[in-house]
Amino acid sequence: MATAVQQQPYRGGSGYVARSSSSGLYDVLELILDKGLVIDVFVRVSLIGIEILTIDARIVIASVDTYLRFAEAVNRLDLMENKDSQGLPDMMDSLTSGGASSKTKGVLQGAKEALFGDEEEDEEDKDEDDGDERAGRRRTASSTTTKRRRRSAASGSGSGSGRRSKS
Amino acid sequence: MPEQATKPRYVYGVVRGHGKAPAVKGIAGAPLELVDAGEVAALTSVAPGSYLEAGREDLLTHSRVLEATLEQGTVLPMRFGVVVPDDETLRGRLLEGHREELLAQLAEMDGKVEFALKGLYDEEAILRELVSHDREIGYLKNEIAGKSEAATYYERIRLGELIAAAFAARQEEDAAKVVEELRPHAVAVRVGDPIHERMAVNASFLVERAGLPKFDRAVDAIGRREAARIRFRVTGPLPPHSFVELEAVV
Repeated sequence: MATAVQQQPYRGGSGYVARSSSSGLYDVLELILDKGLVIDVFVRVSLIGIEILTIDARIVIASVDTYLRFAEAVNRLDLMENKDSQGLPDMMDSLTSGGASSKTKGVLQGAKEALFGDEEEDEEDKDEDDGDERAGRRRTASSTTTKRRRRSAASGSGSGSGRRSKS
Repeated sequence: MPEQATKPRYVYGVVRGHGKAPAVKGIAGAPLELVDAGEVAALTSVAPGSYLEAGREDLLTHSRVLEATLEQGTVLPMRFGVVVPDDETLRGRLLEGHREELLAQLAEMDGKVEFALKGLYDEEAILRELVSHDREIGYLKNEIAGKSEAATYYERIRLGELIAAAFAARQEEDAAKVVEELRPHAVAVRVGDPIHERMAVNASFLVERAGLPKFDRAVDAIGRREAARIRFRVTGPLPPHSFVELEAVV
């Protein structure tokens, strides 16, 4: 086997699609946790808390809270007509960091940013920052809902790691 | 290579035998070592203990080790977190027990890499789409506008429910369309569930290195066409995580 590092071939360049060859954790988390060779008798390690978050944070759509968030988001569309992204609900507030900010920069530039936060551990901080930015606005039901969901996802990860500790 | 026969090992993947491990550090900083069993070998490092509590760094290490290995040649990635108690178990249960299967998959994966494609809706664009395409959603939205939250509680729940359903249908449609457009440029495709509320498509493609430019151009064309509503991210080349599998040991 050669030890030379090969340069990657053509990787597009239109600017419409974000590309990464050295993967951020979020991009590969799902793959390395859920995909790949595994053998029944082999031990699988236990994962520490936060890492599971992005996987366990899959969204449960069917709940009144969720419906109300969707409704609120739709009702805000009119308000957004002449405004920038500050009016966007954090309905989809999320594991993404590029979502809201990309609105003001346009899709093309937004596409160049990571769709997903590279640094999952910053998530709580970002959440707090968001809160500060919106301090002048009424705290919405949707943001508290999102926080609550995140907390429960985080606490749920304990059992998640238990499940994953063996296979 | 020092004999570590009695030590537990963390296993990253399977490669062809008689090769050389990449010169990157493994989990807990341990050097990578190949455990050979003739034509196949396991890429490993000595684990700090038989039971490993892994965090973010370890996940990244697993991924980086495999990517470095992929640059050297074909590798069948293990799922994160496989630790074997000793070399005998590793050889017996993996390398020798599955030799034919592993060799066949190594041959199958030669010259191929995985690309993970994720598409995320622009939230405003997708909501506008749903409102303008669904008469009942548009009607309810107008009904609610300007009224107090208390007075419209049930209408808002109904509106949200309709949006959730319309969104799910739209998502399924978009994902299928994107996957079908890229399928001709891939050797194999695995479609995953959305792992994010706004996710339009989540799929992995096994692509011949030689066919990469075509695949890339096809992805670009979709990205350009959907630019106003979906933002795509492609990660790769990755080892073929989504396309390897072992028969269960009987």
